[in-house]
Amino acid sequence: MRRRDFLKIAAVGGAAVTIDGCGDHATQLIHFIPEETLIPGLAVWRPGVCNQCSAGCGLQVKVMQGDAEVVRNGQSGLIKMGLAKKLEGNPQHPVNHGKLCARGQAGLQVTYNPDRIQQPLKRTGERGAGQFARIGWDEAIENLVTHLSPLASEHPPQSLAFLTRPLMGQRRTLVERFLSGFNGAQMVSFEPFDDSVLREANRLSFGHSQLPTFDLARSNYVVCFGADFLGTWNSPVAHNVGYGAMRQGRPGNRGKFVQVECRMSQTGANADEWIPAQLGTEGHLALAFAHVIVNEHLVKAESAGTAGSRIDGWSKGLPDYSPDAVARKTGVAAEIITRLAREMVTAGSGVAIVGGAPLAQTNGLFTALAVNALNELLGGVGRPGGVCFSPGLPLDESKRRPANAAEPRLISVRTFAEQVLSAREPDTIKVLLVNGANPVFAAPTGWRVREALDKVPFIVSFGNFLDETSNLADLILPDHSYLESWMDDVPESGTVDAVLSIAPPAMLSLHETRALPDVLLDVSRHLGGEASKALPWKSYEEMLQATFTPLRHSVGSIAADTDEEFWGKLKQQGGWWSSNRVGPPKSSPPVASFAPVKSEDPTWDGAATEYPFQFLPYVSQQFLDGTHANLSWLQELPEVLSTAIWSSWVEINPQTAARLAIGQGDLVEVSSQHGRVRAPAVLSPGIAPDVLAMPAGQGHEEYGRYATGRGANPVHVLAPQMATATGSLAWASTRVKVARVGSGDLILFSGGPTEFRAEKLSR
Amino acid sequence: MAHQWGMVIDLDRCTGCEACVVACHAENNIATVSPEEAARGRTMHWIHVERHWEGEYPNVRARFRPVLCQQCGAAPCEPVCPTYASYHTAEGLNAQVYNRCIGTRYCANACPYTVRVFNWFSPEWDKPLHLQLNPDVSVREGGVMEKCTFCSQRITAAEIHAQAENRELRDGDVTPACVQSCPAGAMVFGDLSDPTSQVSRLARLARGSKLLEELGTLPAITYLERE
Amino acid sequence: MRGYSRAIILALIATLVTLAGLSWAGIAHSRGKAILRQTAFVQNPIHSVPATPSSVFTTAHASFNDAVREFLGLQSTPVQPIAFNHRIHIQKGLQCTTCHTGVTQGPDAGIPSTNFCMVCHQVIAAQKPEIKKLAAYAAKGQDIPWQRVYWFYPSTHVRFWHSPHIRAGLGCEQCHGNLAQQTVAVRSKDLTMNFCLNCHVAKRVSVECITCHF
Repeated sequence: MRRRDFLKIAAVGGAAVTIDGCGDHATQLIHFIPEETLIPGLAVWRPGVCNQCSAGCGLQVKVMQGDAEVVRNGQSGLIKMGLAKKLEGNPQHPVNHGKLCARGQAGLQVTYNPDRIQQPLKRTGERGAGQFARIGWDEAIENLVTHLSPLASEHPPQSLAFLTRPLMGQRRTLVERFLSGFNGAQMVSFEPFDDSVLREANRLSFGHSQLPTFDLARSNYVVCFGADFLGTWNSPVAHNVGYGAMRQGRPGNRGKFVQVECRMSQTGANADEWIPAQLGTEGHLALAFAHVIVNEHLVKAESAGTAGSRIDGWSKGLPDYSPDAVARKTGVAAEIITRLAREMVTAGSGVAIVGGAPLAQTNGLFTALAVNALNELLGGVGRPGGVCFSPGLPLDESKRRPANAAEPRLISVRTFAEQVLSAREPDTIKVLLVNGANPVFAAPTGWRVREALDKVPFIVSFGNFLDETSNLADLILPDHSYLESWMDDVPESGTVDAVLSIAPPAMLSLHETRALPDVLLDVSRHLGGEASKALPWKSYEEMLQATFTPLRHSVGSIAADTDEEFWGKLKQQGGWWSSNRVGPPKSSPPVASFAPVKSEDPTWDGAATEYPFQFLPYVSQQFLDGTHANLSWLQELPEVLSTAIWSSWVEINPQTAARLAIGQGDLVEVSSQHGRVRAPAVLSPGIAPDVLAMPAGQGHEEYGRYATGRGANPVHVLAPQMATATGSLAWASTRVKVARVGSGDLILFSGGPTEFRAEKLSR
Repeated sequence: MAHQWGMVIDLDRCTGCEACVVACHAENNIATVSPEEAARGRTMHWIHVERHWEGEYPNVRARFRPVLCQQCGAAPCEPVCPTYASYHTAEGLNAQVYNRCIGTRYCANACPYTVRVFNWFSPEWDKPLHLQLNPDVSVREGGVMEKCTFCSQRITAAEIHAQAENRELRDGDVTPACVQSCPAGAMVFGDLSDPTSQVSRLARLARGSKLLEELGTLPAITYLERE
Repeated sequence: MRGYSRAIILALIATLVTLAGLSWAGIAHSRGKAILRQTAFVQNPIHSVPATPSSVFTTAHASFNDAVREFLGLQSTPVQPIAFNHRIHIQKGLQCTTCHTGVTQGPDAGIPSTNFCMVCHQVIAAQKPEIKKLAAYAAKGQDIPWQRVYWFYPSTHVRFWHSPHIRAGLGCEQCHGNLAQQTVAVRSKDLTMNFCLNCHVAKRVSVECITCHF
């Protein structure tokens, strides 16, 4: 008897004593007739537009046939349908060139998330208790129309507000038109780590109120002040593509990269020289570089044009910013300042970048204007290897708004909350529509957003997920995921071309959700009157087609003889881009009457004696502002510097930690005048001794199974302090103290090198 | 002559963005294991980015190094496997045959690169996350060792497509998911037996070295050091 | 001698069955509870959470019976919801690829949806009892829950592409028998590894493990 036969006999004996299990669940389900036909097992690649941040990268979506459990007419069953299986960059797309970041790759888990809201919900319990009943779409739309129609007909001013994260593409136009049917309806925009300071500075310096595009691939010298441009800031994939080319894409000409920041970011880790400077003094450092360049007659001061004229003392050679004076302020040695300034000029085609924490100060505008002036001094805007601004589409912008319609008022969440809390009946908000913004989680406690929302009688959310804000809604009309929707965007930056990213749904919807634009069109039809006149389209697809087919007459990536042919190719290619710059830049004329900025120091919240540390929250490599904390791939992705997974933490300099008897992984409490937060400590050599840093994004109280109750939210500590020029949150201007309170639950990735190898590698 | 698959990773381009890590998870049906299991060191990453600190504040520097299976020419994992589940293919891959694996984990012990991961339990996906699974790759069950395959399913598919078009594989036909995703273009994949392929040309650069090559493992991955 | 070895075998069988049964019972009732004391295999113990026993233990099979059936390679005979007659379709001149459209292009052959069947059967043989069943599915907007005839257990990790085999000139009958003589498709060939390898060796194509197992 052979061994195998023996084992078989033995196993049969075993089988006899067990009871047969249940049948396969899948075989008991109904199979619906498929709504689309695909060759089984073969992938088709469909275009898409990434929605994981606002960079507007083009996607190609691998779609394969699979069996999905769906509900049709109240009956659940299986259906063969095209399912997105992998996201990759669109190789033709001028922003991301076929590449995608980690967060973009993880976008699949948005669509397939187990915690998605699958159909409309109506609140049944107390507000915030999280008790909802499932309702049908007809009832949901009717409910919303009932609440909106008195506002549309009676015209009480300011009774409707639309709270949203920055809207992409034509969604913004559609919402603006929708709101134009209501008297004084407000658009409330909320983005936790926004770039409004930089946009304002760029408007003043260059006449472009938008984020800059960097031609890194042709730069010889990059000096960056605080921006995590290779990780999370602006258009990271575009930056990485350019950065790779700058380092090793030009044989014999490797560009140099200098990073100025007080806590080493993923970006800073790649720098040839990493220069820790006092947080909030980056503007002074930039002007010290300019001081050296101008006073050593390397470049003439006048060549900085308007950008230079924004700085007080520029034409006089910046006497207040000598390397010695600035060295004392910034902590960067005068010799280093002088050396780097000379290098920047001699390298040719240098570029300066600013963003992130340096601008999240009370003096953010000063810092941004200072770096802008340095940039112009190094060669100016629109030069190879420098800064430029992406042009808009060559379309007639006057058609964006219906005739006579006023632009809806755009206000910040802070202003909105103040208004609601101070308003007296009957001048209050009656209905608040919420789309994708989560200020209850991400706005500082001092803004009192939660209290304000409690005063709003009726809140409607279009969210995919229950989060801290949509949990307060009375009615939830869940949106499709971005792979199930028509998507369009005109990237603000990341390309020198005029670019339209556009794509039809890559797959049919998995749940009983509806796309926000189509819901608004439906609601406006029900309301009739002004509201429906502003939105004459039957569907969002029709609106997109009407808006973008005129692009056929501009020279670009698509040649077509008819509008239909153009539209067909546009859908297939995932966008349109000009082969050269054709459109007018999205800009406003430079402002003439602006008093040049004087040297300005940051104002810190809290006294240095009681609160000895500067607190630096930063945008998370995994979750950005926390939007992606519900994706398990990203929770289990080690943050590249700390290697932490499923965690949040406080970064402390090892010497500081030793002084305070704090060890790796110890639970520490960070407190400011405004709040406290507890998280385990990570000892990091890449942080200044007087700074504590903490990633944003964790600490959700309500955001699905992977995020809820995990980690801590640094926003609780922040002072409600504003950047003076723009009124946006100065999120890096809070002072804190820290103390060990126990042992923590830090999880570090353990798949790293063995001790033997770690020793060998750290030569 | 058979292809000899190899890779070059340019550390001067790598920015530590970890796009490769998530791309690998998506392509290869790699499970996430929960925080509790992760704390026991049971994450399933086939590729990870090592971070090495150098120096002390303020003269501090961090270096990144993406580490995946080095597809060694003389692989320590292969001779220790009692069931021949870990074996060397004609095209130079260290293959892991899941249906042969009985979970002794000898191979993981033998691997100096710590890139082999063990399924301590059968992975489960909270529905409908199972719909993200790639039908081109199998889902490994509890008790089985797994590791980077250089996306052998993509190699197979590229060969089938080339065959259908009646041609040989061309340089660039095969891109593993990590290489495809890399925004900075730090990773290049191709046939080392073709001296004109991009990977061969880059592997000959003076900056190139192999990870722990003094162990004699003959890795198929060349790292180009940061300048 | 013969009796002696039989006694040993019986004793071994009994032991094995008992052990397997006991261990299965334990595992089956312990999902979500800690039963196995597994020592954490920590390569680099740097986390602050102590390595306590895992609370997760899942089995590769839904039941012990499933495990046994899989081990033995047993597959039950599929019972089709409609007695589809292959022979008559072939006699009427239909090609295999008329319905199994994916077979020349991709990995899977594919089975058409109810709608596709109804293109012909709206009229043809509409009164026959099996066609009435088909029409009833179509009327309800449902597909027919066909049962697989040829398949591999997941733990075999076999991945098969039809199209290269068709391109290599293999006829469908090589693996599926002569369908012109079958009504409802039956598993007429035992698709074992031997079966595949014999052909691969004879045709001098790859016998690399990862050609089929990945």
